[in-house]
Amino acid sequence: MHKWKTSFRLHKRFILSLILLAVFGWSLFAVKWDADEVYHAGGIPTLGQIFKGLFQPDLSPEVLSKGLEAAWITLAYAVAGMSLAIIYAFIVGVLASGTLTSSRAARLANKVFFRGILGFTRSIHELVWAWLFVAAIGFSPFAAIFALAIPYGGILGRIFADMLNDVPKEPIKALWAAGASKLEVLFYGYLPLVRADMISYTMYRFECSIRSSAIMSFVGLGGLGYQIQLSLADLKYDQVWTYVFYLIALVVLVDIWSNFVRKGLTDRKRRRGFSTGWRASLLAALLIAGSWIYIYFIDHADISDLFSDQNAEYAGKFFGGLIGLNENNPAFFDAESWASALKLTYETLEMSVMAIGFSTIAACLTVIPAARNIASGNLTISKKWYNWPLYGLVRLVYIFSRSVPELVWAMMIIFILKPGILPGALALALHNFGILGKLWAEVIEDMDPRPIRNLAASGASKIETLFYGILPIVMPRFLTYVLYRWEVIMRTTIVVGFVGAGGLGMDFKLAMSYFQYTQITLLLLCYMILVVIADFASESTRKTVK
Amino acid sequence: MTSKIMIDVKNLTKHFERKIALSSLSFTIKQGEMVALIGPSGAGKSTLLNSIARLVPLESGEMLIDGQNISTYKRGKAFAKKVGVIRQQFDLIGPLAVIHNVLAGKLADWGTVKSLISLLVPQEKDAALMALERVGLTDKAHEITSTLSGGEQQRVALARLLVQKPEIILADEPVASLDPARADDVLSMLTKIVSEDNQTLIASLHSVDYARKYFDRIISLKNGAILFDLPTEKVTDEMLAELYSLKEHSSHA
Repeated sequence: MHKWKTSFRLHKRFILSLILLAVFGWSLFAVKWDADEVYHAGGIPTLGQIFKGLFQPDLSPEVLSKGLEAAWITLAYAVAGMSLAIIYAFIVGVLASGTLTSSRAARLANKVFFRGILGFTRSIHELVWAWLFVAAIGFSPFAAIFALAIPYGGILGRIFADMLNDVPKEPIKALWAAGASKLEVLFYGYLPLVRADMISYTMYRFECSIRSSAIMSFVGLGGLGYQIQLSLADLKYDQVWTYVFYLIALVVLVDIWSNFVRKGLTDRKRRRGFSTGWRASLLAALLIAGSWIYIYFIDHADISDLFSDQNAEYAGKFFGGLIGLNENNPAFFDAESWASALKLTYETLEMSVMAIGFSTIAACLTVIPAARNIASGNLTISKKWYNWPLYGLVRLVYIFSRSVPELVWAMMIIFILKPGILPGALALALHNFGILGKLWAEVIEDMDPRPIRNLAASGASKIETLFYGILPIVMPRFLTYVLYRWEVIMRTTIVVGFVGAGGLGMDFKLAMSYFQYTQITLLLLCYMILVVIADFASESTRKTVK
Repeated sequence: MTSKIMIDVKNLTKHFERKIALSSLSFTIKQGEMVALIGPSGAGKSTLLNSIARLVPLESGEMLIDGQNISTYKRGKAFAKKVGVIRQQFDLIGPLAVIHNVLAGKLADWGTVKSLISLLVPQEKDAALMALERVGLTDKAHEITSTLSGGEQQRVALARLLVQKPEIILADEPVASLDPARADDVLSMLTKIVSEDNQTLIASLHSVDYARKYFDRIISLKNGAILFDLPTEKVTDEMLAELYSLKEHSSHA
């Protein structure tokens, strides 16, 4: 018995890998792997045309200037949305952390209540929020901005609350002892301690919000996604790529900026004059001001329009519809609707597993050359001429993959493959493998190089170094990221479904188009079931690896 | 016992960004010798050991390992049979079981397939268990390495060297993060193993006491140069005082 236990403990990671592999294998059975079933008749030639467009994007001045304007709209919505998200996240996050309460009961109540709010707002995808807002208040830029602000605020607020809870307790106690009030402790203790982490996480989220803002177009709001959609509808793939390149450029610029800000935060040296921090704050202030001014004066969005009687009536009708007012047979009380929705839920689960499986495989194959310390030969003390070019190539592919939102990938793939689970899974995988690869490469870069160098010095070959040194050390964190991305993918399945890539999302769009409000409620319920399953499964897997 | 020359260093010089790290070092070390390398922080002890281990490239000068120029050794496998390194316990793979860390000493001999199978079913288990027995850790073979104490981890590293069986062992601050009792334990075990297997040992140390207690020759480095290179019994307190004095250092600064 004891022996059995030790052998389980020794091999639990191996066993876990086998189980995960088996789950991935199971998901593959959801697709009929038959060329006629998978491809459109003209799928392969279309693929050729799409590829041709990639290398010959349309660079005519007209398209370029249209792209520039669309890029600015996308950026402005993202900035405006994020600025609201930060306010929401800060207030609710601080309340949810319980740092302002003193009694135990009040703290618990605060935590449950405000964490609940944050949890609810982030469990619904921004595109669904957008759809809800468009239905309620019409095609106003505010629909896009609120749709971004609410889920992003939910995610940011939760992370802020976690950070505040994880603050080392000694400096806080010292402030209490010095007689500081609760607010003073917040501003002198908690906030300075978490400031750097908060800012760097917000910058990371800002990058994500650019992509989200771009896909807001798919509910009819302007921006890069809108242009991509129009060009795809006209089958002008060369224009599609031009706009995609704009999007990539935007994401890369934000990425560079956030690296800059992060570096400024970790730089301990104080420079004289205008420091990096000030410059970054000024730029942020300018961007926020510029975006709001644009939205108010040039986009002519008026906040007072939002509260017109007409909008109130729409919104009332919409939300009343969701809970089944004036409906004789609401879908969420109907066994048949539940049966078909649960079948779709099952399909969605399969899609998400397949997607994370594909991205994991792709990341596995590419991550080793993508780590800076392997490319430079520092980690494995072996240098080859092809290391750096390979590093650059893989990193370029990563940037490309993660800059293009799942929805855009899905829209292109749907031209090649027949609707179903496979195109959805592929689109999700294409977007997520770049993110996963980047995160994994950073794990390798942050590794303690000494054990690895020692292995290499004691005569281990490259593959032996990988299996005896690198993998055992990075495996738990790799797995954490896989599970984390799987949870994200689960929420995003709804989005690729919108363009006909199967699962719950496709049905959601249909229900939206036919104004079947109770069906929408039912589908959202199914989504929540999925999110709970995902949380539970990934939490228990994480515990096993520890 | 033969007394062939294992390490022969001539005019070894090394710079790091124009700062001199090693200046024209020359010495020879015979088989079976146990040499302590001492000197203040930044004197070049680690750089010297890393040069012998080929972890940093030679800049100028010549180094022969067992009569053969160090740069002519084939990368990896053959060299691993000549030179093995032990540091603080940081050079073990924490999440792996102890037995795999010990068997990592065999990687130079094994092919890829065998080493991968070994991660599931440990190969040549007897060799590993024998090594663990010599360091007194037989019962820990299947523990996860990172759960062991610092002294135990260092003994795991010793067991790995036993399995690897290099002719020369380089020990870079092997006891720097251990308390005195554990440090004594590890050093006496290391020197015992080295003398039993007629290996050659060079260890850099912070503590002069350990150098005097366990080693028969002391090479002292200061500012990248050899200050003295003497049998242990000839090293006087005055020499040590000069070695660690701050005066000369501060006049340069």
